[in-house]
Amino acid sequence: MAGHDDSGASEKKSSEAINDLPTFNAENMQNNMRVIYYSRTFMSIIGGFIAGIWGFTSLMGFIFYFLIMAITSVGLTAKAGFTIHSYFDSWNRIILDGFLGGLMSFVLFWTFSYDIVHIF
Amino acid sequence: MAEDLVLDTAIRDWVLIPLSVVMVLIGVLRYFVSKLMRSSQSPDAKIIKEGQVIIRARNLRAGANFIPPKSFRARRAYFSNEENGLLFVPKGQAQNAQAQMFSDPNMAMDMMKKNLSMIIPQTLTFAWVNFFFSGFVAAKIPFPLTQRFRSMLQNGIDLSTVDVSYVSSRSWYFLNLFGLRGLFSLILGEENATDDTQRMMQMSGFGFDPSKSLGAEKDGLDIVQHEWALPKFEQRAEAVLKKLVS
Repeated sequence: MAGHDDSGASEKKSSEAINDLPTFNAENMQNNMRVIYYSRTFMSIIGGFIAGIWGFTSLMGFIFYFLIMAITSVGLTAKAGFTIHSYFDSWNRIILDGFLGGLMSFVLFWTFSYDIVHIF
Repeated sequence: MAEDLVLDTAIRDWVLIPLSVVMVLIGVLRYFVSKLMRSSQSPDAKIIKEGQVIIRARNLRAGANFIPPKSFRARRAYFSNEENGLLFVPKGQAQNAQAQMFSDPNMAMDMMKKNLSMIIPQTLTFAWVNFFFSGFVAAKIPFPLTQRFRSMLQNGIDLSTVDVSYVSSRSWYFLNLFGLRGLFSLILGEENATDDTQRMMQMSGFGFDPSKSLGAEKDGLDIVQHEWALPKFEQRAEAVLKKLVS
């Protein structure tokens, strides 16, 4: 019993020490960033189509875009198993990175599907 | 301002959709053409060697805290001592590499090919759009914009009474040109043509100078504060093994 306790305590201590270390594999990190970029682009294109088909105009569409991006962030967080720090070095990576990068694609596909469905 | 315009459905079927499809297909075509034309030049052994040395030094810097102090000092001396360290560049050789790059015709040729594969399709598409589709409204942006955007969105229509959110076909072409970048990165993978342009921009200034980056890496290695991070790893290993056994 005592031995078990001891090992648990020492394990806890050493794992704390490990968590203090900034151990990053730069390539894996870049790969994660790329995955984020891809999923954001994909979501913005799909979201653009949906927004156009549903006929959102002006402010509504941009709110929809931010909603889509928020959903993407939540989805990525869930995919990372809610332990961001084992995949990324900060929360900004998953929440803010590439937030506006997909806007151009979003606007293009929004316009495209909106035009096809609604204005002609 | 102006009431809603009624657009012919023929414009949708024969302008909007074909134009977008053509833009996507031309992007794909350009990717494959530039891939075919990329000549595999035999790289200079010296430059490759310097690049590898830099990568090794960078790895050492990144993993410095995972090796004992003595090993780190030995490796640092190996890379950056002032007489024959790998990262030490003698004064006279610094200009040599750059001059060599300037005189290398292969490199300029390669860059010109890349340039051409970018510019030719764009010019052709623009001429095509201009010739067939100029002078009418092709699409409508679903959000209002200020007058400032008129010259951008209604390129080719000289009417000041049309609402700004209507887009001429020529401007739809430009919108496609910028907006499809994300789609290309999805369907063509990481190294698509747009990435090539960025790389070309970096290379075109001949900003890539191996000896300079060697010096920078040496400085970086010199100021690393070494602090061994693993004194407790034996305990951790013990704990893990105990857990496995029990």
